[in-house]
Amino acid sequence: MPTCISLNNLTKHYGSTVAVKNLTLKVEEGEVLGLLGPNGAGKSTTLYMLAGLVRPDEGKINVFGRELQRNFVSIARRMGVLVERPVFYDYLSVRRNLKLFARLAGHDVNVDRLLDLVGLLHAGNARAGALSQGMRQRLGLAHAMLTEPELLLLDEPTAGLDLEGVQDILQLLRYLAKDARVTIVFSSHQMHEVESLCDRVAILNKGELVACERTDALLSYDQTSVEVLIDGSEGAAKRLSEQSWVEKVEAKPGRLQVRLREENVHQLAAFLVTGGYKVSAIMPRRRTLQDYFLKVMNQSEKGAAS
Amino acid sequence: MTRRIVQAYLFEMYKVIHYKYSAMGPVLVLIAVVCAPLLYPISKDEVSDYGFIAYITPVALNFLGFLLLLIYSAGLVSTELASGTIRQVLIRPVRRHEFVLAKLLNGMTYALLLTLIVGASSWLLAWLLGELMGVTYGGELLFTREEMSNAYLLGLLLSLAPQWAGVALALMFSSFFRSPMTAASGAVGGWILIDLVKYPLGIERFVFSTYLEKPWAVFSSRSEAIALDWFPGVWYVLGTSFAVMAVCTALAIVALQRRNLSA
Repeated sequence: MPTCISLNNLTKHYGSTVAVKNLTLKVEEGEVLGLLGPNGAGKSTTLYMLAGLVRPDEGKINVFGRELQRNFVSIARRMGVLVERPVFYDYLSVRRNLKLFARLAGHDVNVDRLLDLVGLLHAGNARAGALSQGMRQRLGLAHAMLTEPELLLLDEPTAGLDLEGVQDILQLLRYLAKDARVTIVFSSHQMHEVESLCDRVAILNKGELVACERTDALLSYDQTSVEVLIDGSEGAAKRLSEQSWVEKVEAKPGRLQVRLREENVHQLAAFLVTGGYKVSAIMPRRRTLQDYFLKVMNQSEKGAAS
Repeated sequence: MTRRIVQAYLFEMYKVIHYKYSAMGPVLVLIAVVCAPLLYPISKDEVSDYGFIAYITPVALNFLGFLLLLIYSAGLVSTELASGTIRQVLIRPVRRHEFVLAKLLNGMTYALLLTLIVGASSWLLAWLLGELMGVTYGGELLFTREEMSNAYLLGLLLSLAPQWAGVALALMFSSFFRSPMTAASGAVGGWILIDLVKYPLGIERFVFSTYLEKPWAVFSSRSEAIALDWFPGVWYVLGTSFAVMAVCTALAIVALQRRNLSA
């Protein structure tokens, strides 16, 4: 697949603080990339450098195969950006704000369709200044989609939204990613959003890229950590704890949580069945993004300390 | 590029039209002109009242109007920086220098509007309450009404140059500071400071604000039956004004180019 975004050794300092350090990353067309990281990790700075709002000190940014600084206008026509806490002209209505920005972009747009998409049609005539944070966020998303972009850069798109709003926005983004094949790069603190939406996650810490993996690989089943539904869990736990291939076992009424030293569920199953235990199910635990994130962050912190 | 500047300028105008407080400046200068007969009484007494126009135009335009213009222009970029709306604009296909030039055109249009309001209202008032005939001296007609109105029109056009320089000066401060209040203080303070030190430093000939009232000098002299030449004053007005415009606009662009527009 062709490359949509290519970041090469991108570095940005704010005074003596390193916001982004030697970031090299590629995003393919049609891909959804999630940027994860603690506060101050450099997620927003990376997005804003991509949006042309922040100038990198070093490094190169290529979007749609063109250098961003030199070809900003042609790239911006194909790009939509949702900034953190989007602000609009308070004295203009929601509809007028969008029409105004569409005109600035030289784009003819069906504002009502866009408002409908983000669930803001009922507030079309409301002043932007009277909107709640969640509604502003929806307006920000509508603003980002004004020009039917091929690339969307979203800084915490669900911030300030209620549960229903989060679901609406995620559904919309899923539609954009899967059906409209829009390339999306977004930052978030919400692991479940990233899990459900992204093809790939990039984890940043202190401005550095510490991991970048495909989501489906990360979210596979962990064959070393299993849950067993079993009768006589106490006895089974005692016998299992004596086995060298078992790292840890924890008994709960009617179930066991077993941590194996290696991926060897068959051995566990055979051991329990031949031991005469009545086993209803053996379920490998599904890895979560949070596990991966914490693991990566832990490694990163340890690496920095050493 | 021109098309994008025009688009950005139309974007600016749309906002100005829909922002109710944009009308405050024009209304204030209009009030100043309307109140002028209290300070400079005129009547229908067969004597031309060009002196009234020559009095009120610089007062309304070069003091109150210029002050309002500086404050208005100082808010052009800084208000967008303070509120964060600038990010929504600059993620669109508009380059930063095009944005600054559109803002400059916005301020220039505002100056033109104030000038037209002062010009039209002062002439209307003089026509309604006083006399607008030729200027005579000892019974001899020195300047016809047409010559007077032409002198005024030329003065009006010429007066735009130092006002536009003021716009560029304030725009520069507007790009320097995120706070509209600081930008306005810088622009007004800068103007006053330059005016205070230009004579002791002997640089008054090179300072645009020296020539704020120069465009009205010919009209004003004629209203007192004194002939005055346009030149070389015109060159000083244009030269200093456009030099300031070029330098301040360039600095405003550089300041905005270097600015990081993160949250």
